Order: sequence, then structure tokens, then C-alpha cells
Amino acid sequence: MPVGPFGIDPIIWAPLRLVIAVGLALFLVLNGALLQIYLERKIQAIIQDRLGPYHVGPFGLLQTFADALKLISKEDVRAAATDGWFFIAAPALVFCPMLASWAVLPFAQDIVGANLNIGLLYLTTLGSMTVLGIVIAGWASNNKYALVGGLRSAGQLISYEIPQILALVSVALVVGSLSMIDITRSQTGPLVNVLILPFSFLIYFIAALAETNRTPFDLPEAESELVAGWLTEYSGMRWGTMLALSEYGNVTVVCAIITTLWFGGWQGPGVDAFPLLGALWFTLKVYAFIVVMMWIRATLPRLRIDQLMSFCWKGLIPMALVNIIAVATLALAFPNSLVPIAIANWALVVLFIAGIPFLQRRRLATLRARARASAAPAVRAAS
Amino acid sequence: MTFDFVEPVVFALLSIGVIAGGAAVVLLNRITAAALLMAFTFLCMAGMFVLLGAETIAAFQVLIYVGAITVLILYGVMFTKFSDGPRALLFQRQTPIAAVLVAAVAIPVALLSFSFTSAPPRPGGGDLPALATSVFTDFAFPFEVASVLLLAAMVGAIVLTRRDDPEEAAMRRRR
Repeated sequence: MPVGPFGIDPIIWAPLRLVIAVGLALFLVLNGALLQIYLERKIQAIIQDRLGPYHVGPFGLLQTFADALKLISKEDVRAAATDGWFFIAAPALVFCPMLASWAVLPFAQDIVGANLNIGLLYLTTLGSMTVLGIVIAGWASNNKYALVGGLRSAGQLISYEIPQILALVSVALVVGSLSMIDITRSQTGPLVNVLILPFSFLIYFIAALAETNRTPFDLPEAESELVAGWLTEYSGMRWGTMLALSEYGNVTVVCAIITTLWFGGWQGPGVDAFPLLGALWFTLKVYAFIVVMMWIRATLPRLRIDQLMSFCWKGLIPMALVNIIAVATLALAFPNSLVPIAIANWALVVLFIAGIPFLQRRRLATLRARARASAAPAVRAAS
Repeated sequence: MTFDFVEPVVFALLSIGVIAGGAAVVLLNRITAAALLMAFTFLCMAGMFVLLGAETIAAFQVLIYVGAITVLILYGVMFTKFSDGPRALLFQRQTPIAAVLVAAVAIPVALLSFSFTSAPPRPGGGDLPALATSVFTDFAFPFEVASVLLLAAMVGAIVLTRRDDPEEAAMRRRR
């Protein structure tokens, strides 16, 4: 009789492994969401000079557990005019792709669900499926605010997917693989990809903020204008699944992609001696980016929808295309050295940062000129 | 006992999914349900590609058809006027003609499919390096032609949908 790992018969081990993997991913998603909601509230509180949650448990640590229990025990309320099956299916449609994308995240040297050779493509594919659930949720709610939220979300997510994928392409060009493991292994020692491709990291980070509905791009659920956007009609654990689990799970996935592609994944001091230390480094790096996202949320105001779309189509996509052309040309011209690519990418970053004030000043000047032109006749009429 | 039985079972489930989903898309009255079931059919097709060893094609199938095209169809449905009138089948008023046409195509195809006697082709060959190499070498010209076609379609769509509304233009200038 063949014996698999841990002396278990392979016929039992294969399904058992599947159950363990899904259970582990669910466990991580649930606890990650609890932790991130607590972090989000605490960080916003610190930035806004408040205390944040502090009554339940030490430092308010158990507050989100109490909130989760409340959500689970809530009555399953559904408005009469909602669209039966769609309303029920939408949270699952948002949640399942997020959970499936955890399969290829490399937590440590040997801790990975599946080493797909198209790992990066798999992740973008699943990221693009989320929008289907959001649009269905907006439609099924049979509510104006939810519908507008769903439509906005469809426009926003499909648009920002393009610069996101284009930014990933430049990393694949440099590394020469789409497998998350290979990409991590290619960044040996302190020479992580962000030193070579800072511009694509910048583009990806901005687009990822929009893809995960984070401020300043959280137009689909803009509270001040749309109540809660596509989430308006949802309550109880359906709301919890959609917002808490899926959104925070997606944030984690996106930050894990950033960590793997640009910051060396699980690699760090002491990993060669203790491979399990990689999981710690990976988690620390991921949470560093999550904290940056929360910091941005507390700092920046929300954009307007036309600003959001024109920034993507007129700003991010051309930038991403220039980046790809530069990286691809230099990778062909200098196949043995990454230095020219790094120089070109840093030059693009400097150009981008220097160009923003220039463009803003020009835009301000045209706005002022227009205001003067439209105000002048009125003044003459009054006098 | 091994896991040889898994692949035929998965294939059977996916086939049922594709055929039932496709039939439901055509037969259902509710257009949103049809769109969602179309996404389901595409997902089952992607599963078929995975069974054939072409994971890349499966990923692109989901990325483009489920993630983009279905969403655009839903987007279109939401922007179209929805009347509360009698719900009839919209596009199926020529049943006899359609039946004749389908029979004319389907019967030869069915007959032809039983005439294959050679061994079935081996799965595989759809993985990433092989696909990328063929797209950028042997099929570079068709690839470029397709992209030019898409560009022309995009420009055409913009020209067709652009309205020269004076009030709207004034609004835009004020902004």
C-alpha cells in the first residue's frame, strides 16, 4: 500500500489536503478581517487624535470579535422588492474569487497552496471576477443608490484593471516568469524589485487602491452621496461577508502581491536557517502595506467620479504604457544588466513627482482664467 | 483505487454545466439571469480548458469573458429601459426558420464527428511559453490585424455614441 506524507494513505491525504488548505485560508481570512478592522479603527483614531475602541478587552482588542458576533446573530433582513436569488448570490460571488486567490500566495518557502506557472495571471483573473458580484449586488438591491454604486464600481474596476495589469507586465518582463515562487526567488538578498522597478510599483499601488475600493477611490460606496453604494440594502452577515471579509481579504491579497513582486516576498534575514521565519517576514511586509493604505484613508479626501475616470485613462494608462515600452526596450537592448532599466524607472518616478505640481499649476491657471471670463459680463451688467 | 475516476467525473459535470447554462441563456426570460448564467457557462468552459492542460487559455477566458464581457452586458442591461409590459421572448420569433437552419448545420456536424477514427490528440501545448512564442512569431500578423480591428471598432463606437449636445458642451466648458 502506498504511503503519502505523515504516513497517511494518499487516497485519504489528497482530499484531506484540500480540506486543510481551504480551512486554513478561511481561518486566515476571518482573523485577518477582524485584525484589520481593529487596526483600521485604531490607526484612524490615532491620526484623528481620538482613542478608538478601548472598552472590550485589553486596548479594545476584542471589540471586532464582539462586532462579528453581533453581525452573525443579526436577523436576516431582506427588502421585499429585492431580486431573490441574485441578492443572495452576490455576497458569494464577491467572496469566492477572493478566497480562491489565496491559493497561490507564497507565505513562506514551502507554504504555498499551488505553485502555478501562471500564478500572476491567475490572480488578475480572480481580481476581475469580483466586479461581477458587485454589479449583481447593485442590481439585485433594487435601490437607486445601490444601482449607482454598482455602475460606478463596474466602470471603476474595469478601468483600473488595465494599469494594474500593465504594471504587472513590466515585472514579468524583468523576471521572466509569472510564477509567484520564481518571482520571489529572483529577488536575492537586498536587491528587491522595487529598486529596479519603482515606477511600476507606484502605478500598481495607485491602481490597487482603486481595485480594492479604498480611499481616495472608494466612489462605489461613497457614504456622503450614496448612503453605502452597492452595500446599502445589505445587513447582518451578508454585509459582513461582502464588506468585512471580501474587502479586507482583497486588500490582503493585493498587499501580498505587492510584497511578492516588489519587496522580495518571504525573504529576509535568517530565512535560510529557519524557513518558517519566512512566514513572519511575509506577514510583516504585507501588514506594513495594509497600514500604509489605512494611513492614506485617514489622509486623503475622496475624488469625484469624473476625476477618477480621467485620472485612470489620461494619467495612469499612458504612464503604464510608457513604462512597459521603456522596460521592454531596455530589457532587449541590455539583456545582461538591470542597471539601465533601474535608471530609466527612477527617472520616470522623478518625472512623475516633478510633473504633478507643474500640471496642477497649469490647471489652476486655466480654471482662474475661465472664472474671470465668466464673471466679467455679470460684473458689467451689475454696474 | 486511484484518482482516475476524477477526471471523467469533472468532465461530465463541466459538460452538464456548459450545456445547461447555454440552454438556460437562450430560454430564460429574465435578461439579468441569462447574463449571469452566461458567466457560469464561460466558467465551465474555462474548466474544460484546464482539463485539456491549457491553463493560460482558461485564465484568459475567465479574465476577458467573465470579468469584462459579462459585466459590460450587465452594464448595458442596466442602462436600457426596462418596461413592465408582458414578458415575452425578445429574440425568438422565427422559431421554424431557426429550427431548419440549426438542423442544416447540426446534422452534418453530428455525422462528421462520428467519422473520426484516428487517436485523440494529446492534451497540453497550451502552456504559457509555447503560446507566447507562437503569438509573437508565427501568428504575429493575425494578432496585429486583430488589434487594429479592435482599435477601429473602438473609434467607431466613440464616434457613434458621441452626442453634440450644446448644453452638455457648455457644462463641460464650465468645468
